[in-house]
Amino acid sequence: MKNKLTFWVITSVLSIFVIYALVSTVLMPVLTKNPLPKAIIQTTSDEKPKNSKKDNNDSKDEIVSEPVVSSNSKDAKVKLFELRKREVLLHSRLELANEDSMYLVLDLINNTAVLEMKGVSLHESKILESSVSNSIKMYHTEALLNWMAEPFMLKHVEATIPKIEYVEKIAPKDTIEANKVAVEPAPAKLGDVYIVMDFDRNLRLVISQSEKPDDEGKKVISAMRRKYQEMEVRRSLQSLIKFNREPAMPQISIVIPKSDATIFYKALPVRPKMIIRM
Amino acid sequence: MEIEEKKERSFLNVIIWTIPILLFCVFVLMILFTPAFQDSAFKVKSWFTGFQVSEETSNEGIEKLEVRSQRNINLIEAKLDNLKPVKPYIVVNTTENRYSLRNAGGDTVRTGGCSTGKNEVLIAGKKRIIFKTPKGMFTVLNKQENRPWIKPDWAFIEDGLPIPSARSASRIDYNTLGDYALSIGDGYMLHGTLYQRFLGLPVTHGCVRLGDKDLDVIYHTLSKGSKVFIY
Repeated sequence: MKNKLTFWVITSVLSIFVIYALVSTVLMPVLTKNPLPKAIIQTTSDEKPKNSKKDNNDSKDEIVSEPVVSSNSKDAKVKLFELRKREVLLHSRLELANEDSMYLVLDLINNTAVLEMKGVSLHESKILESSVSNSIKMYHTEALLNWMAEPFMLKHVEATIPKIEYVEKIAPKDTIEANKVAVEPAPAKLGDVYIVMDFDRNLRLVISQSEKPDDEGKKVISAMRRKYQEMEVRRSLQSLIKFNREPAMPQISIVIPKSDATIFYKALPVRPKMIIRM
Repeated sequence: MEIEEKKERSFLNVIIWTIPILLFCVFVLMILFTPAFQDSAFKVKSWFTGFQVSEETSNEGIEKLEVRSQRNINLIEAKLDNLKPVKPYIVVNTTENRYSLRNAGGDTVRTGGCSTGKNEVLIAGKKRIIFKTPKGMFTVLNKQENRPWIKPDWAFIEDGLPIPSARSASRIDYNTLGDYALSIGDGYMLHGTLYQRFLGLPVTHGCVRLGDKDLDVIYHTLSKGSKVFIY
């Protein structure tokens, strides 16, 4: 009798916990919050500043927010949606090509990552594996188009390799000392690569290397992965108290060769921009 | 008979406790792997939402919108094409110390090894001199054959020599730059080298050093105004 009561009490309490956790960490964020925030259309330099706001809205209307007729068939809508997606991508690409910085083009249709500048492909890498969060790929919506309407700008990056590695050298006092310190140059060893790039509009890009990391690399990479998982666990635990969990960042994960990942990371500027084709 | 019934009852008593254990496991898994649970939930949600478009309607038909969209695409593609170099250009990869020479159409016509900046900071008293190759798009400003190198102060500091006056003859070096030099501004050049064995390694003070044969082809392919992309 006592056992029965204990069983029912524990089961009921745990059921309530599970339901509460399900609602606060999974259902509420997914059902009530949009993980794809709308892009703010940037004013281009050749636009007149006086009417910039109006012009900006006009141009955006032409490129992105044109309403789709809801009365026609689904196939036609899908076709139009794909056309508009391509248009949005090209618009972003043109915007970036007009700037003086390098940028990344992630083509998830052809499975390539391209480092570009002024519309010229500088370095191309084959994406060997990729995965896209369902919060991005499952939705053929206006929200997705508006989210993609502008290039994504990097907000925070963390990597297992340094961006630039400088060697400091004290100037020799005389020629004898100069001859002593002269060393034969050797090719630099490539460290194992794992990069987490957080862009604006709630997008995370994770770049992993296709090669198996060495023991040291394994440790560094798993420590970084654990750190990001711990962050999510903390957010989930907080949401149990505060009941306001945001959906997890929509994530795109790609696997490319180590050399290409290193090149991209070292070549991109500190605040690079990126466009996604998918 | 009674013993069997007792056994069955005690077995059920044990089995039934798996329910709270499972519930606890689900709770822990949900907290540990929330993003994965959310991802699955987004998939389920998409089954019900389907193809969502703006509720606003327009008088124009889808065909008209398609035509407009296609026209915009063609327009943007033409603009993008206009941005591309009209002359042959060179792309330099500083991570791998390789170059690729491309024609105006963007096709690679020659590739090879080169040497770029060694990413070194030379500390001389309070002075910090950084040796690195700048990244970005540059333009060939001028081309010269057998150009002498006017040694800057750092060349003497690095060798532990006293810095001579600005017009000293000891600053002029006729061999270092090789047969050809293409200037890309701010003192940076694409030039030859005496140290061919270091090609493919980051050893320079910021310039791009090339092998003799490669330099010959590059010099005769690129002209003043040609683009140099360094990444």
